[in-house]
Amino acid sequence: MKYQSFVGLEIHIQLITETKVFCSCPNNFGDEPNTNVCPVCMGYPGALPSLNEEAVFKALKVSRALNCHINEKAVFERKNYFYPDMPKNYQISQFEFPFGINGYFDLELDDGSVKRIRIHDVHLEEDAGKMIHDAYQSRLDYNRAGTPLLEIVTEPDLLDGREAELFVQQFRQLVRYLEVTDGNMEEGSLRCDANTSINLPGKGLGTKTEVKNLNSSRFVNKALTYEIKRHAKVLDKGDTIVQETRLWDEGSSTTRSMRSKEDSHDYRYFPEPDLPPFRPDAALMARVEEAMIELPNDRKKRYEAELKLTSDQAVFITAEKNTADWFEAVLAAGADASQTAAWLSGDIQKILNKEGKSIEQSPFTPERIKELFDLINSNRISNNIGKDVLQAIFDEDRDPSAIVKEKGLEQVSDTGAVEKVVEEVLAAHRAVVDAIRAGEDKQIGFLMGQLMKATGGKVNPQLAREMIVNKIKRSE
Amino acid sequence: MDKNELFKTAALAKLKLDDEEADKLAAEVSAMLDNFSAMMEADVEGLEPTTQTLQKENRTRSDSTGSSNLSNQLLDRVPEREDRFIVIPNVM
Repeated sequence: MKYQSFVGLEIHIQLITETKVFCSCPNNFGDEPNTNVCPVCMGYPGALPSLNEEAVFKALKVSRALNCHINEKAVFERKNYFYPDMPKNYQISQFEFPFGINGYFDLELDDGSVKRIRIHDVHLEEDAGKMIHDAYQSRLDYNRAGTPLLEIVTEPDLLDGREAELFVQQFRQLVRYLEVTDGNMEEGSLRCDANTSINLPGKGLGTKTEVKNLNSSRFVNKALTYEIKRHAKVLDKGDTIVQETRLWDEGSSTTRSMRSKEDSHDYRYFPEPDLPPFRPDAALMARVEEAMIELPNDRKKRYEAELKLTSDQAVFITAEKNTADWFEAVLAAGADASQTAAWLSGDIQKILNKEGKSIEQSPFTPERIKELFDLINSNRISNNIGKDVLQAIFDEDRDPSAIVKEKGLEQVSDTGAVEKVVEEVLAAHRAVVDAIRAGEDKQIGFLMGQLMKATGGKVNPQLAREMIVNKIKRSE
Repeated sequence: MDKNELFKTAALAKLKLDDEEADKLAAEVSAMLDNFSAMMEADVEGLEPTTQTLQKENRTRSDSTGSSNLSNQLLDRVPEREDRFIVIPNVM
């Protein structure tokens, strides 16, 4: 393509709080319609908003994690628009003095390189209510009206759909790590609008369009890829791009023009007279600092460099904070990192997927897993039996040593006992023994199989194998 | 005020104006805007914008739910309902 493309994102996240941002109604919009409403969020005259300190804390946490400058004074403003999703006819938002400005996010690209994406601002606002339309009527439910919403605006530093997709994925991972939102895009707790423009190289930004209705990171990519191509076709014909808001239609994989929206100045922002400006003080900022955790990308790098995990393992384990926390708890219990990583990304994950459980809800406590590894590493059970024990831990919610003991799974390492079984197997398969003697070493595997079958897999395999080889050679 | 601008402002406020109303209002709104212009001329050099005079300190609320629930009383005042939904003419 002869054009250069620019992409910027506006991401909204629903904050996890007990109550709405400006009133004490429960932040719970799945309830019966219009149950969590009060004079404040219904816009009754004279009702006064008051700011939820937890929403402020989470807004500052995100601002800090995105390396923003924290404004000394955060101001709330009224964004005026007339639409029944907001009963007040304005939304309380932030415009001139949001909580965080001028930040950045280090985005990891497909080739492993890092691209710094500038963050324009992080501001706190209230969500709108829900509307259901039919041909004649609109039904309104204000349970969601006034619930805390945090908007993060990037500069147009992303190149294309793929970079935007990566940004949404890595940003989502970050805010889930920070435990400020559940980040569920399908359910709307993380919503993304994408701006894009193209121009000839060196000419700067072009005329932009905005795409809405992107409820997965894949759609973000597809919609932007489509939009950038559409812009190029328009410019190639010598036409000009119309600045407008467009809607992504997944069915046809195209974008279409939406009714035009207000320009920014049409919202007639002005400072909210009912809420004093908020000045984050030193004590609060110290709490925010304390809440900063190791971020997912840093954790991944540490796992590769210090714990020598493979890149795939590190990506898998750090994808979700609860998985990585569990992994570290197993290490803290004294387990080996490679062994833990291999089991976690292998058999443990297999069972969790099959049973539809997350690791912290499962019977797999770090102590039990460490105990299972001890049983395997001290040769008291074989690796294969270990897998059965793992399933039994899940099914029976018991400690591995108890399971091994009760089911008699401990492997036989007593030389005399193993010798007896080996002799029986050799006697029963004379022809195979002869073949091995003639050089067909592969057949040792067959004898091992027979041996395991005869003992229910409980014989120490190394010991048994050595014994088979010795016995055949000795009788040569 | 320019009549086109007046119509645009009215549209943003979801108000319908006929020509006669527009003529009358254009003059009135112009008078209002002149008053604002007069205020704009005041010298505020070096003054911090004041949006609050009473409240100087942070005022926040702890994140816990209130005890009273007025939702039923609020819904009783709604002109048209269907179950717990508020019903209005289609706005899509």
